[in-house]
Amino acid sequence: MTILNESGIPDVLPPLHAASGLAERLPGALVVVVGTQAEAHLVQSLPGAPSPNLPGPTRNPRLMFAVLDPERPPQQGLLASRIAEAAARPRGTELVLLVAGRSARLLGVDAAFEARLVARKLELPAEVVDPDAPHESPGTLSTDLEARTLAALVDLCPERRTSDLLETGSPAKRGGLFGGLLGRGREERPGTQGHPVVLLGGASSSPGSARELAAELLRAGVEVAGAVPGELPALGEGTVVAVLDPNLTAAAQVAERRGARVVRTLMPVGVDGTARFVQDVAGEAGVRANEVSRARSVWEELGALRSRIRGKRIFFAGDTGVEIPLARFLADAGAVVLEVGAPRLDRRFLAPEVQALGPDVDVVVSPDWRGQMERIEEARPDVVVASPGLYVPLVARGHLCRSPWDFLEAGLYGYAGARRVLELLARTFERAETLDALNL
Amino acid sequence: MRLLRGVYEGPGSHGILRVAASLRGVHAVLRALPGEGYFPALYGSRERVGEAAPVTLSPLGEEAKESPGDLARDLASVVRRHPRAETIVLARSEAALLSGENVPATSLAESLGTAKTPRLVTCSWEAPGMRETEAAELALEDLIRAHVRGRPERSPYPTVNLFGPPVFGPSAGAEYAEAERLLDLIGVEVNARVPLGAGAAELARLPRAWANVLLYREVGESATLYLQDEFGTGRVTTPMIGAAGTGAALRAVGELCDLDPKTVQRTIWTELAHTAKLPWYARLEPPEVLQGRRVAIFGDFTYPLGLGYALAREVGLEVAACGTYLTHLERDFLFHANTFTEGAFVEDDPAEVAARVEAASPDLVVGTHLEEEVADSLGVPFLPLCPPAKGTPFVGRPLMGYAGSSVLADALDGVLTRSRKEAAKDQGQP
Repeated sequence: MTILNESGIPDVLPPLHAASGLAERLPGALVVVVGTQAEAHLVQSLPGAPSPNLPGPTRNPRLMFAVLDPERPPQQGLLASRIAEAAARPRGTELVLLVAGRSARLLGVDAAFEARLVARKLELPAEVVDPDAPHESPGTLSTDLEARTLAALVDLCPERRTSDLLETGSPAKRGGLFGGLLGRGREERPGTQGHPVVLLGGASSSPGSARELAAELLRAGVEVAGAVPGELPALGEGTVVAVLDPNLTAAAQVAERRGARVVRTLMPVGVDGTARFVQDVAGEAGVRANEVSRARSVWEELGALRSRIRGKRIFFAGDTGVEIPLARFLADAGAVVLEVGAPRLDRRFLAPEVQALGPDVDVVVSPDWRGQMERIEEARPDVVVASPGLYVPLVARGHLCRSPWDFLEAGLYGYAGARRVLELLARTFERAETLDALNL
Repeated sequence: MRLLRGVYEGPGSHGILRVAASLRGVHAVLRALPGEGYFPALYGSRERVGEAAPVTLSPLGEEAKESPGDLARDLASVVRRHPRAETIVLARSEAALLSGENVPATSLAESLGTAKTPRLVTCSWEAPGMRETEAAELALEDLIRAHVRGRPERSPYPTVNLFGPPVFGPSAGAEYAEAERLLDLIGVEVNARVPLGAGAAELARLPRAWANVLLYREVGESATLYLQDEFGTGRVTTPMIGAAGTGAALRAVGELCDLDPKTVQRTIWTELAHTAKLPWYARLEPPEVLQGRRVAIFGDFTYPLGLGYALAREVGLEVAACGTYLTHLERDFLFHANTFTEGAFVEDDPAEVAARVEAASPDLVVGTHLEEEVADSLGVPFLPLCPPAKGTPFVGRPLMGYAGSSVLADALDGVLTRSRKEAAKDQGQP
């Protein structure tokens, strides 16, 4: 495995595009994008998960734009009062998220102050999410807004102290806010582990996949106390936090600051990734689990699917950050990974993932999109996992493309996710072969 | 500060990029935050043409001290990597403008291979708060000024320039094609289509034309005024929408190109007999279908005015409300809209627009994709005929010209006849 830094300009969909998706996926949250015309237009133009055929703009009553006038920056407190008025209209608002980036700062908006004011006026939690806040390692990923939002949600989790250590069950149901992800309707079981486990991530994909992972952990004897996003669990000293997505450095740091133990392991993507994840999370929670035989049997079950992607050459030019674990899994499954583009690579946070990448995989940090296209033309891979800006031009040049969001939407976590990933790729190849066989 | 549910226009930089991406041989450099480069994704999904968007991001950021991030170096790198680019346009996002960064006094190097130095257009008039359409208009003027050299001679036979919509316009290519077809019928050649598909050569030869036909006035206004002031090229500003609008525009072109009015009129009659179906539709439908039916129209400038006039005068609908979101064209819009409606208005807040549309209690809403919701809530048919519109058809259908009038007739026939049938069903009639 080699890591190169191309110092280029990667094709990354702006993280802000996720604002409308967040408003949909976090029921009860009112998302207010604070900025200029530019931010509002961006969010409106790129709704939901991007694909070459972007869905038409949709309007969500829980998404609003505070468009600032550059000539007349607002007085302090005005934003908060407007939001307080607006929040009263859609019923059941339980959280206000102020998405305020650099433009708002440049126009003198103190978003943290406004959020505090909103919280006081509405007696609801209000958090600021800054999509432009710098990360520890340079670069931008299209999933950064979700990551920042998750960090804010972790911050909102009720505190947990050492004295609560023995209470490992779910927190009392509050109903409404972020409910329905996990634990709802599940029978309470007496704790079998020393530390409660909280799952962190899965905001970009369907919530069902986090539930599957919880079931997987339960099979190994680990009960999941909650998930973020989800019904916010108590989080603090002694809590074991299991991170699902590779871009959640900030959220993991917030959890660590609270005294939680963040498990440093592989992401639960692919068979070996899930096995290591379950084993390490269980270990950290005080449960001894051995996933070797389970992993072996899953690999055997996937035999037929593996043979359909064996030897296929894959180029990752995605922008979500999930490409690294995905590449690791597909390389293990027998595919040939030509290159993995990483617009941002947090090498410390992702150390287990980077170490687990096979010896033949090259990672290019900050890849230049033109360079990527040239290398793709040269290598002629069987499939390219392409960012939205490259997708259509690559298809036009005769390449077979999939969007990284297709994998996220299919649900890539856990053993079932591994199957879905392989099925998705097998389906892609099958369809391409059928189309190519036609005499046009 | 305003709390909005949506916006009709993008920022100024988006308008500049739309114009730059419409032209050939132009590469744009967007100076913006690393998280603002959404144009390539949008270009891919809207245009679906297979070419990568001719836009390069120059990331502005605290940490971006070295290349990429250094604007002068990024400009040089674009020249190096895109040797066929004849013009480089610099657009700055609102965040970049607000950060107070100056445009570096830089001159571009020769591009390798062609040994030519590309022109640099910096759009120095950009200001935070400027909207997409106004910026597109000014950028087009700047680009034309940068390319027009000397005083080229007028073409020996009558020619015109077509100033139409830029990329992302609804069926933009089809609008140009229909106008060109009609001009060809009256014996006028198109000297250049601007901005869609025009290259440096076309921009340089714009003054050769006898007249400028403004298909899409919101973007072509400044440029054609410049050509009028500088070279005395006359303008045709009547929206080529509906049979009457198209006929008026063709007659005006005929006058400016010294054509025989009878020949022009003969062509118009032939087209009215064969292609233009809107007048035919208006005569064919029983009066009950159309008379007294109220329509609310909302959009940019050309489309609501053209459609408003056609629906009011040619079809006989009652235009209960007609509005635009282009606040900088308020006076012009109200002047024209007041000729066919008493409900002319200018508004750029979708919630207010929805309230105006509701208050007009229309039987039909013609608007942008943002008006779909209000039409749904009123339970009346909706026609998304004004930009910004959803959908990216592979085959564009024009709304302009005589063919466009037939497309309009089809659209009206679909929604009005259907709604009449539904109403009859509700009343228990067979």
